[in-house]
Amino acid sequence: MGLIGSNWLVVPIVLPLATATLAMLVGRRSAPYLGLLTASGILLSVAAIGLTVLEEGTIRYQLGGWEAPLGINLYADGLAVFMLLMTAIVGAAVSAYAVGYFTSRQDESGRVAGDSGDRSGSFWVLWMFLWASLNGLFLSADAFNLYVTLEIMGLSAAGLVTLERRQSALSSGMRYLFVTLLGSLAYLMGVALLYGALGALDLATLGELMYPGAATWSALALITLGMALKTGLFPLHFWMPAAYSNAISPASALLAGLVGKASFYLLLRLWFDVFDGGLGPGPGQVLGLLGAAAIVWGAVMAVRQRRLKRLLAYSSVSQIGYLFVLFSLATTASWGFDAWSGGVYHAFSHACAKAAMFMSAGAIVRSVGHDDLDRMQGVGQQMPLAVAGFALGGVTLMGLPPTGGFTAKWLLVSASLESGQWWIAVVLLAGGVLAALYVLRFLNPALIQVKVGPVARPATQNLEVTAFVLAFGSFFLALLSAPLLALLRIGTPFASVLLVGTP
Amino acid sequence: MLSLFFDAVLALALPLLAWRVLTTRDLYRAVILFIAFGLLVALSWARLDAPDIALAEAAIGAGLTGALFLNTVGGLVGRKRSPSRESDESREVAERREAIQSSPGEPVDEVMRPWWVRLALTVPILALGLALGWAVVSFPEPAIDLAQQASDNLEASGVDHGVTAVLLNFRSYDTLLEIGVLLLAVVAVWSLDLGRVRGGQAALSKGLPVLHGLVRLLTPIMIIVGGYLLWAGAKQPGGAFQAGAVLGALGVLLVLSGLVRPPLSDGSGLRIGLAVGFAVFLGIGTAVMLATGELLNYPPASTYGLIIIIELFLTVSIALTLAALFVTAPPRKEQGSKEHSEEKGEES
Amino acid sequence: MSPVTFYLLSSVGIFVVCLYGLIVHAHLIRKILALNMMGSAVFLLLTGVARRGELTDPVPHAMVLTGIVVAVSATAFALAVARRLYEECGRAYLPEEDPEDLSEEREG
Repeated sequence: MGLIGSNWLVVPIVLPLATATLAMLVGRRSAPYLGLLTASGILLSVAAIGLTVLEEGTIRYQLGGWEAPLGINLYADGLAVFMLLMTAIVGAAVSAYAVGYFTSRQDESGRVAGDSGDRSGSFWVLWMFLWASLNGLFLSADAFNLYVTLEIMGLSAAGLVTLERRQSALSSGMRYLFVTLLGSLAYLMGVALLYGALGALDLATLGELMYPGAATWSALALITLGMALKTGLFPLHFWMPAAYSNAISPASALLAGLVGKASFYLLLRLWFDVFDGGLGPGPGQVLGLLGAAAIVWGAVMAVRQRRLKRLLAYSSVSQIGYLFVLFSLATTASWGFDAWSGGVYHAFSHACAKAAMFMSAGAIVRSVGHDDLDRMQGVGQQMPLAVAGFALGGVTLMGLPPTGGFTAKWLLVSASLESGQWWIAVVLLAGGVLAALYVLRFLNPALIQVKVGPVARPATQNLEVTAFVLAFGSFFLALLSAPLLALLRIGTPFASVLLVGTP
Repeated sequence: MLSLFFDAVLALALPLLAWRVLTTRDLYRAVILFIAFGLLVALSWARLDAPDIALAEAAIGAGLTGALFLNTVGGLVGRKRSPSRESDESREVAERREAIQSSPGEPVDEVMRPWWVRLALTVPILALGLALGWAVVSFPEPAIDLAQQASDNLEASGVDHGVTAVLLNFRSYDTLLEIGVLLLAVVAVWSLDLGRVRGGQAALSKGLPVLHGLVRLLTPIMIIVGGYLLWAGAKQPGGAFQAGAVLGALGVLLVLSGLVRPPLSDGSGLRIGLAVGFAVFLGIGTAVMLATGELLNYPPASTYGLIIIIELFLTVSIALTLAALFVTAPPRKEQGSKEHSEEKGEES
Repeated sequence: MSPVTFYLLSSVGIFVVCLYGLIVHAHLIRKILALNMMGSAVFLLLTGVARRGELTDPVPHAMVLTGIVVAVSATAFALAVARRLYEECGRAYLPEEDPEDLSEEREG
C-alpha cells in the first residue's frame, strides 16, 4: 500500500471539516463555492478509494500511527466504500441543489430576504459537518469513535431541521433532537458495557472476543434500540414524518436519503462484524418482522396523506422496512449474501431516489406555493422536469426494472424464497404495489392537462435539473449492479457463504 | 470501612437525586438540584481515582451546564417582564404565553403522560434496569488490558500523564472530532438567531458592587489557575479541557457581572478565536502526514512541542466556545439590531 | 461487594430513572435535564470500569472527557431550540403528536 493510496482514506473526512471551518470564517458569499469544490474533492477521493479497494482489497489505516486496540483505526471494505459512494453521489447532487435553492429564495420570493442569507451560511457549515460525520462513520473501526461521529451527525442534522422557522418545523426539530440524542446515548451505554465486558473498542477485536453473556446481550439490545430509533424503524418512526416533511427540502433530502442510512449501516456493521449475526437467530427475526410491518404500515399511511412532502416521509417509513428485512434473512446459509447485499443495495437506490423526490417536491412546492396533493393539477405541464424526476424516483421505489430498486428487491425476494420464508416475499411485492399507489396519488393530478395562461412563478430550473439528474441516476442503477456487487463482496462477513454458495 | 460506607451512601444518593431533579415541581429548584447532582458525580469520580474528569465535570458538567439551564429557565419565566419579540408575534400567542406564565415563580410543568402510560412504562424500564444491573455485576475479567498498553506506550507519547497521552496522542482523532462538535454547537445555536442573553445579566450588573469586587478578585486567580492547569496537564491531572473550562467560566462570570460586554455580534475576531483551536489541530494533524505518512502521527522528535502548541490553541477555543454557548450572540449585526432594538446602544 | 460495584449499580439506577423521566415528562427543560443526566450515568459506568484493574485505565477517562464536552454542546443546542420554540409558540413542551402542517404558504 503506497503512501498516497491509503491516505486517500482521510480525505473524505478532513476535507469537509476544513471546509466547515473555512465557511464559518468567510461567511455566506463564498460558502456555496467552497461547498461545491469540496463535493468534487470528495467524489474524487471516494473514486480513488473505491479503485484501491477493488484492486488491492480492504484497507486498514492507523490514525496517529497507533495500532488497535489502543489506537483508532479506519477501515475500508466493500460495504464502507459502497456507503461512501452513495453519500458522495447524493451529497454532490444536494450541494448543487442547495446553491440554487438559497439563491432563488432571495431573488424571487418577493418578501424581504430576511435571514435567508444567514441560513445559507449556516446550511453550508452544518452540511459540511454532517458530510464529514457520515464519511467518518462509514470508515470508522472504533466503537467510541463511532459515537462521536453519531453525535456530530445528530446535532448537524437537527440543526438543518431547525433552519426552517415555522412552529411545526421547530417542534419536529426539537423532537428529532431528543430522539437522536437518546439513540446516541443508548448506543454509548452499549459501548460502555462492551468495554466493561471485553476491554476493547476496536470493532475487529470486539468481534473476536464476543461471547454471549449478560453484558453483551444488554449491549446488543441497547445498540439495536438506539439505532432502530434513529433510523425510524416501525413502531419507533413517530418522529419521522414531521421531521422530514417540515424541514427545508435540501435538509429533507439529506435526512431521508443519507442520515437514516448511516444509523442503519452502523447497526448492520455491528450486528455482523461484532455481534456475530445478532448472538442467535431470535433477534434477527424480530427486526425482520418489524421491517415487514413497516413496509405495509408506512405505505398505507403514505397513500392516505394529503400533502406531498408528508407522503414522501411516510414512504420512507415503508422503504426503511426493506432494509430491516435482511436481518431475518442474512444468515450463514447459502442465501445469506443475497439477502445482505439486497438490503444494502436497497439503501443505495432508496437514498438516490428519495433524495431526488424530495428535491423535486421542493422545487414544486417552491413554484406552486403549497404542497396540497389535491391542487396539483397541471403541474406536469408547468414543471415537466420536476415531475419526471419524481416519477423516475417513484419507479425505483416500486422496484421495477431497470431501477436499482429492482436489483435490491430481486435479491431479497430470491433470498426469502430460498430460505422458505415466502411470506416475506409476499410483503416485499405488496410493498411495491402500494408504492405504485402512493406515487400515483401525486402523478395522477399532476399529469392532468389544464388550460393555464402563462403564470409568473419563481425560477426553479436548476432545482428541477439537479433533482432530475439524481433520479435519472437511480433509475439506471441496476445496470451497475455487477461492479457494485463485486465491490460488496470485498471483506463481506458472508465470505464463507460465497465460497460454498457460488457455483 | 468508613470509606466503604461513604461510597455506598454516595452511590445511593445519585439516582435519588436524579429522581428529585425530575420530580421537583419548581424548575429553578430542579436546576439547583441538578448542579448538586453534577457536583456529587464529580465527587464520585474523585473517589474513583479520576481527578481529570472530576475537575472537568465540576466545571463544565455542573457549573457551565447548570448556568445554561438557569439562564434558559430564567428566559422562559422572566420574559413576561422583558418582552422583546412582542411586535412580530400574533396576539393569540402572546395571550397563550400570558396564561402559561401566570405564576412566574413556578414555571409551567406537570405536563406528563397519562397515568396508564406511566404504569405501562415501568415494566420494560424495570426490566432494563435489572438486565443492566445484572450485566455490570457480572462483568468478566476483560481479555484485553488497555491500561497496561497505555502505560507501556506512555514513553513514546511525548507526555507523562496517561489521560493527556490518550487524548492528544493515542486517540487524538476522537479529540479532534470532539473539538469539531464544540464548533458545530456554536454554529447550530447561532443559526437559531436567538439574540443575546438578557434579563439575568442586566439584573446582576446593576446594584451589586459586591459581585463586581468578587469577579475582579477572581479574574486574575482564575487566569492563573487556568494557565497552571494547562501547563500541568503534561505531567499530572489537568490540560486543555480543564483550563478551557475554568477560563470559559471566567468569561461567563465577566459577562454576567456586566464587566465585559458580550462578544461582538458579527466579530470576525470572535469567529477566528472560536475556530482557531480546531483549525490548528486539523492543520497540524494533516501536516504531519507529510513527515510520517499518517494523519495525526507526530514525528517523534517534535511530539511534545506539537502537543503543547495544540493544547494552547485548544484552551483558547474551548474557553471562548463555552462562553459563547452561554451568551448566544446573533450571527449578524443588522439582524440583531433590527429585532432587538433595546440593545442598539450596546451593539455599536 | 467492592465500592466500584456500588458506582456501577448507581450508574444503572441513574440511567433508568432518567430514561423514565425523559419519556413521561413533556416539559422541554425536564427532558433536557434527563438526557444530560443519562449521559452522566454512562460516564459513571465508564469511570467505574476504568477502576477495576491494577492500574487505573486512562482510556475511559479520555472517553468521558470527550463525552462531557459533547454533552455540554448538545445541551446548549437543545436549550437554544427550546427557547426558540418558546419564543415562536409560547409553550415549553411538545404536542402529544406533531400536528400536520396544513398552512397554505410553503417555501419548499
